[in-house]
Amino acid sequence: MNILTMLWKNLWGGSRTMLFPARPKVSKGYRGLVRFDPALCTGCAICKFRCTARAIEFRAGKGEFTWSYDPGQCTFCGRCVEGCKTHALSQDSECPPVYLTIGELKNSYTVARKPPAPKPAAAAPPTAAGPTADSATGGAQ
Amino acid sequence: MNLTAALARLLIFPGLLFAVPAAWFFLWVERKAVALMQGRIGPPFMQPFYDFIKLLGKSTPPRSGVAGLLMKVWPLIAVSAAAGAVGLLPVLPSSGGFQGDLILLLALLELPSMCIIAAGFSSRSIFGEIGSAREAVLSVAYNVVFLLAIISIAASQHTFRLEALAQMPVSPVHWLGVLMRCLGVLAILVCLPAKLHINPFSLPNAEQEIYSGPMTEYAGPELAMWELSHGLEWVAATGLAATLVAPVVAILVAPHLIVWWLAALLFVALSFGVVLLLSVVAAATARLAIDTTVRFYWQCTLIFAVLAISSALFMRLRS
Amino acid sequence: MNLWNRLMCYCRRRSPWLFHMNSGSCNGCDIELVASLSPRYDAEQLGVRLEGSPRHADILCITGPVTHNSVQAIQTVYGQVCGPKAVVAIGSCPATTNVFIDSRTIDGPLNRHIPVDVFVPGCPPRPDAIVLGIAKAAEILANRAAKKLPVEPVCIPGTECAAGCAAKAAASEVQL
Repeated sequence: MNILTMLWKNLWGGSRTMLFPARPKVSKGYRGLVRFDPALCTGCAICKFRCTARAIEFRAGKGEFTWSYDPGQCTFCGRCVEGCKTHALSQDSECPPVYLTIGELKNSYTVARKPPAPKPAAAAPPTAAGPTADSATGGAQ
Repeated sequence: MNLTAALARLLIFPGLLFAVPAAWFFLWVERKAVALMQGRIGPPFMQPFYDFIKLLGKSTPPRSGVAGLLMKVWPLIAVSAAAGAVGLLPVLPSSGGFQGDLILLLALLELPSMCIIAAGFSSRSIFGEIGSAREAVLSVAYNVVFLLAIISIAASQHTFRLEALAQMPVSPVHWLGVLMRCLGVLAILVCLPAKLHINPFSLPNAEQEIYSGPMTEYAGPELAMWELSHGLEWVAATGLAATLVAPVVAILVAPHLIVWWLAALLFVALSFGVVLLLSVVAAATARLAIDTTVRFYWQCTLIFAVLAISSALFMRLRS
Repeated sequence: MNLWNRLMCYCRRRSPWLFHMNSGSCNGCDIELVASLSPRYDAEQLGVRLEGSPRHADILCITGPVTHNSVQAIQTVYGQVCGPKAVVAIGSCPATTNVFIDSRTIDGPLNRHIPVDVFVPGCPPRPDAIVLGIAKAAEILANRAAKKLPVEPVCIPGTECAAGCAAKAAASEVQL
């Protein structure tokens, strides 16, 4: 009898279906597409290292680097977002769209490198060693 | 019935021309009712028509040999048999019939199941063979109860003519006959889910509503014919149940006011009611395994069918 | 017979029958596909029906990165789907093999073996995204059959698929 009361309630209670193409709202913590802010990125490539699916590609050039992200390859785990020290990456709750050819959704950004911030309180004697150390690290990146 | 009348009944009313849209309508009603009871919306109104047209446009895999030819023939036999069964239904009273057309109706209604069994074996796929074996066991199980119920109704009425069964003697009301009729119709309604392959006896359909056990190798227009024969089976089976229930309802409501169009309307309404009842049963139950099915028909329901037929014979011997 | 073609195109869009196949998936996408038939998302409002036999279906829905063991099965089943057909790759695994890149047992993205029409990204994709992908595939199927696109899906150039596609499809048409 339980099932019959359930069926009766379903029949008169209305359907719970979302009419196509309406889509339901996602919850706040939903891990969706990764957003990149070029202004905050320092080019450390920790996100590429941490990415589990190799969705992030990083190519270093002189004075600039190319960062690209393929939502079709991404597994939306959020490791890149956790690892980014400058919070250039964030994950919003938008789902990736349906696509027809592979690689269609890939985004590439070419970001110019920013000059390193001047070290504070470096006026005195180690000034001779300071600039060479900085230029050495700047060249190796 | 002469030839033109018979052809008109087979092809026009209530034959193919009316039966095919009715089949699509009943298929849609069943899907929509099950969906609404499950809290969904379900398919749009013309969905069985869209499915049929789409299937006509698909290609079929090339088949060779006698088995290939047989596979093409079975769905056509099934559709013609089901259409013939619908054509025999007495939708309008005094539309002409012949002595024994109830037996012809039962035989024609049984042919699509036989065709499914044969089709499963001639498709030479393992899924087809298993599905056909299950269908055969199911057929043996429910047919015992089904035929006993029909025989008890016919015996209590002293006739095998559908028209006469559709009209009970009005006065004086023979209450024992009404009781016999009700018991028999109840037994038939219990057998209908098995005949129409819906839950809880949807065993030959290996997975979904459409037969996928014996039908595994079918595609394209042949599949469209199977779908159509399934829909026509719905119309014929629910029409048979409606024919047998109609006089009971007429007696209870107003026996003197039944004119011909009201009788036809009652027939259609009762068919629709039977479809809704079967949809509720389909939505409320899950698929039973073959041993449970056979046990259900041969242990639980058989006793009622035996009671019905013995009391019918007893009545007949007394009168 | 322009009217018949238009009617056929109209009906093909409104009656997509699916066959679901798992080529080594973790089952996340399979669960979301079945969830898209549940009351909340109800793919049946589009006429979608999940079929038990590939011969009945129009749209082949494939999940999972393609493992070595399943390559032959996928090609056979693709050959068994009749008539105008479309393929939907559900999840990011069939499109790009996702986290299983460089695995020894994975045989590359799906379009190396069969032509794919629609990719539904996500890990797993939401059921409403899957329904959207199926609707898009039904539309592509109807347009292709109405002779606006080539009869068989266009192979991705530069992959193995284009070379062996026709031969594999013909060889895997398993007859009686």
